[in-house]
Amino acid sequence: MKVKGTYKRSDIWLAFWLIIPTLIAIGITAFYPLGQTLYDSFFRWSLRPGFEREFLGFQNYVNLFQDPRFLRSLWNTVYFTFFSVLIEFLLGLGTALILNADFKLRGLVRAAVLIPWAIPTAVSSQMWKWMYNDQYGVISLMLYNLGILEEGTPILGTPGMAMSAIIAVDVWKTTPFVALLLLAGLQIIPNELYEAARIDGASIWKQFTSITLPVLRPTIGVTLIFRTLDALRVFDIVYIMTQGAVGTETLAVYNRSLLMDNIFSPRGLFGYGSALSVVIFLIIGLFTIIYMRSLNIKLD
Amino acid sequence: MKKVVVLFAILTMVLSVFSITITMTAGAVGRELEALTEQVEMFMEENPDITVNILPMPNSSTDRHDLYVTYLASGTPDPDVLQLDVIWPAEFAPFLVDLTDDYDYFGLDGFFPGTVASNTVDGRLVAVPWFTDAGILYYRKDLLEKYGYDVPKTWDELYTAAKDISEKEGIEGFVWQGARYEGLTCDVMEFVHSFGGEIMKDGEVVVDDPEYYDNNVAAITFMDKLIEEGVSPAGVTTYMEEEARRVFQNGDAVFMRNWPYAWPLVNAPESPVAGKADITVLPKGPAPDGRNSATLGGWNLGINANSSAAEVEASKKLIKFLVSKEQQVYKAVNAGQTPTMIEAYNDPRTIEANPFYADILDVFLNAEPRPISPIYSEISYEIQVAVHEVLTQQAEPEDALDNLAENLKSLVE
Repeated sequence: MKVKGTYKRSDIWLAFWLIIPTLIAIGITAFYPLGQTLYDSFFRWSLRPGFEREFLGFQNYVNLFQDPRFLRSLWNTVYFTFFSVLIEFLLGLGTALILNADFKLRGLVRAAVLIPWAIPTAVSSQMWKWMYNDQYGVISLMLYNLGILEEGTPILGTPGMAMSAIIAVDVWKTTPFVALLLLAGLQIIPNELYEAARIDGASIWKQFTSITLPVLRPTIGVTLIFRTLDALRVFDIVYIMTQGAVGTETLAVYNRSLLMDNIFSPRGLFGYGSALSVVIFLIIGLFTIIYMRSLNIKLD
Repeated sequence: MKKVVVLFAILTMVLSVFSITITMTAGAVGRELEALTEQVEMFMEENPDITVNILPMPNSSTDRHDLYVTYLASGTPDPDVLQLDVIWPAEFAPFLVDLTDDYDYFGLDGFFPGTVASNTVDGRLVAVPWFTDAGILYYRKDLLEKYGYDVPKTWDELYTAAKDISEKEGIEGFVWQGARYEGLTCDVMEFVHSFGGEIMKDGEVVVDDPEYYDNNVAAITFMDKLIEEGVSPAGVTTYMEEEARRVFQNGDAVFMRNWPYAWPLVNAPESPVAGKADITVLPKGPAPDGRNSATLGGWNLGINANSSAAEVEASKKLIKFLVSKEQQVYKAVNAGQTPTMIEAYNDPRTIEANPFYADILDVFLNAEPRPISPIYSEISYEIQVAVHEVLTQQAEPEDALDNLAENLKSLVE
């Protein structure tokens, strides 16, 4: 952006002064806590009165990567992220393509599809928890009638099955959001492109791979970033449905336990929890960079 | 006219010098909050110089814990009076006013000893018991009669009756709290204690102590057997209090372990099992070490150490008022919350509103606390994980207990 020459000097100064409050607000709400967390992560420390701060350097980080609970929750988080984002993306793309077509009541269907996404996660998680109930749950009943489950199988109490059940809820909840983003991307593709392709005799598949996908690529990138970052931080669904039992504990759930349940622990876990927060931050940052590089997205 | 205004202004100023405002946190389960509001109004009438603000809290104990953590860690002087879960005093002790010298002021000699003990941290009294809780056994008296069973006295009798009746009736045998959360620790402690086992004693880890190990294994094996042989549904591994209550109240189980709060609900006119259910003490484990055991629950009142001296004085007055016999009876009658003062159980008003109290007074008298430790939540977590792995068929009882012993020792050392 070339500013010089277009704006007067006084305008630039005005802009500077106007943006200062925002910068201060961001500094206080985002960078200060981040810096504080990073600082805390180098200590053995607890908020218990009289607890002596003890400098550990990177010891918390070293311990973290030897902590089986951390490694398990890291694996669970990656597993959750991979499958939920993959399924949401495929289903969302399919939904978007359908919603992009011309049909009666299109507006109504588009709005209706968004309902699962509009329900607060805490509410929908509790709702699904009831539907998974072994005695009265409608899903348990359906799976039993289909011969997939034995009667009385606790879906959320069975290792393996619980994680799939949680992923299913996330897919149900977030596919509409993915579809909406992709739909927005689809709508900027001019119809003339497809008309020209049809005249040239391109098949539907060829149109999809040569027109739709390339034009949609930046949208896909943004969608995947949004979803992956959200999925890596997943907390509420897991916390409400299983509290992290039977192999569903994710990094955020473990982090809550360290920072809230054990905040006054004489073992000084506050610094350890801070280290985990920093690691979560770094993992999310890393994924963002990978995505932006591989999809060639520019932030301007 | 002018004189009246001036006089009024002076009066207000004088009063405001002597009057004081304190804040109290409170739960809102059932009729709890309404009853407390009424009680606080009575208190303010008696003490015009004190104004009490009630701060309602979330129902979930975990959520309340998170909120308290925020208050206490930030060092704010509000709220002054804190309603504390029975497992928190040790953790929050450094933030609470020392009440040791006020033992007689609150008349704690007349309280259940277990409830006072659970508020004593390193010899320091940090909170006053307000209402108590203990695990009890709910059973279907109509079904026991129909199939000719006595009320079970031991776990084996319960097992036999539950298995037989549940098969014949096509319902579940015994439901309890098996999800991996604090409630599981409560249930585990009851099984372990009733089998003569012990997990922690005087701050020491005794899980693998030869004196207790075999009984511990037997207790956990029994819990596992309940599920494996279908006496308890596999789903108990996802049940908290309300899930268990729903099954029992719907008439879909013969026995249930739960807290007394479920009684008015189970017995409400619209309940399908109203009049068909009854309660008793939880069964004994096998002889010779077996005994009846109930885990101590309940809530206490502590005072924020950051409050000013005047606020602390006012808070003590409020607590003394709330735990007095008269008010404990009021709470038992109006909110169904179980008194901590023994005298309150002999009051005809209490007995009339809660006839079953008489039968289970012993349970409350002998309720056993969970380990008292500032790292309680970490200890409880390890117990939950170890037992839940057994219940979900991921580990054998012996291996789980060996692991538990090792993990607890590394925590405590």
